[in-house]
Amino acid sequence: METTAQPVLSTRKIVITGVLAAIAILLGYTRLGFIPVPNLSGNATIMHVPAIIGGVLEGSLVGSLIGGIFGLFSFLQATTPVFKNPIVAIVPRLLIGIFAYFAYVGLKRINEYAALAIAGIVGSLTNTIFVLGLAGIFGLIPWPAMIPVIPQAIAEAIIAAIITVAVVAAWKRVDSGAGGGAKKV
Amino acid sequence: MDEFEISRNITIGQYLALGSFIHKMDPRVKLLSFVLLVAAITFSATYTANAVLLFVVFALVPLSKIPLRYALSGLKPAIPIVLLLAALQIIFYTSAFAGGQNCISFFRWGPIDSNTCGAQLAIVSAARFVELLVLTSLLTFSTTVTELTLGTEQLLSPLQRFNFPAHELALTMTIALRFIPTLAEELERIMKAQVSRGADLGQRGRWRFIQQTRALLPLIVPLFLSALRRAEDLILAMEARCYVGGKGRTHFLELDAKPSDFVALAMVVLFSVGMLLIRFPF
Repeated sequence: METTAQPVLSTRKIVITGVLAAIAILLGYTRLGFIPVPNLSGNATIMHVPAIIGGVLEGSLVGSLIGGIFGLFSFLQATTPVFKNPIVAIVPRLLIGIFAYFAYVGLKRINEYAALAIAGIVGSLTNTIFVLGLAGIFGLIPWPAMIPVIPQAIAEAIIAAIITVAVVAAWKRVDSGAGGGAKKV
Repeated sequence: MDEFEISRNITIGQYLALGSFIHKMDPRVKLLSFVLLVAAITFSATYTANAVLLFVVFALVPLSKIPLRYALSGLKPAIPIVLLLAALQIIFYTSAFAGGQNCISFFRWGPIDSNTCGAQLAIVSAARFVELLVLTSLLTFSTTVTELTLGTEQLLSPLQRFNFPAHELALTMTIALRFIPTLAEELERIMKAQVSRGADLGQRGRWRFIQQTRALLPLIVPLFLSALRRAEDLILAMEARCYVGGKGRTHFLELDAKPSDFVALAMVVLFSVGMLLIRFPF
């Protein structure tokens, strides 16, 4: 019998990656993913949340690919010099889903909801820290100018955590076929 | 009701059918050239190198027949932030970061250190931004999204031998692009549904960010759930039709590189490698 190697990306992973990446791109196009805030950077973002959710639902590879597509679009569409640098725009975004996935898997056994919230926070902070870190290394933003971003980073992490918990908890309940209130693991 | 018109206002890809030499180039060649030129721009930190790059990038614009104001369309909204970053770079860039370069300070007070290196960084960053802006415009205005996806797939396909999922990646991109208008419609429907229940989505403002975030949740969460539900349908449909990936699949579009494509590619390779290797004096 002919045996075929297990594909690296199953149909499920391909489709989930594509659809969640579409959300990330859509949030960018509609500017719904940007929340205007009163500080220097101008906008807090939730565009990295699909990468976190993808990582949590389907593993680090899916999370990483969604982040990659999001990064690619943010590079091509960038209207600030910071994201017109391909390394700053793409590399940190590849890591969002990976870190979020490992945070989730590591903590899942203790408490599902806490694990989801922390995955959201970890993914969000991965984005902030690596983007700013690389921007600093490339000299795009001087280090002292990054201090005002800290409250925004915290806000982004909290929003990401809320959305991750809301979406994944609701989805898993749908997925397992258990309606409201029924306990099913 | 203008704020709900999402799907109508979204244009994916910005292709302008102009039929120039750059439009007719093989997308694989265009993508390779793009990557090489982006690398050359990203790693050029001197005045002279950036002057050369600016010249070359602007010389490509007439070759593509794309009007200059289209190619520079992203520049105007970016000017304030470019100036702001430049000011910050000039004020705060300490000579300690310059890595052995000779920086001449003109002003120093506490953490503030204005020197020639900071000024150079500011000018070079701005130049790089313009170069990349024009270059990405050239690529997206001259190449359809389908061509880009197919080009990427074929460029990556030699890696399939090492189990690299080139076809799957291209399919992922295609699905993402296909789903954007569908999800935009869905988002529109969700917005209308929430507003009809009394949700306040209007009034965007810098100081209302908490209200805005709160208003966002009833839109985002249903959007995700509906997208995931659609994904499940698609997975089921694909599996029911025994989708097994890229092996032996043919394409609607066939790419065919012409001799002129190879000449263009050779020129870009020579130029980019030259820019990366030559040490410009300042």
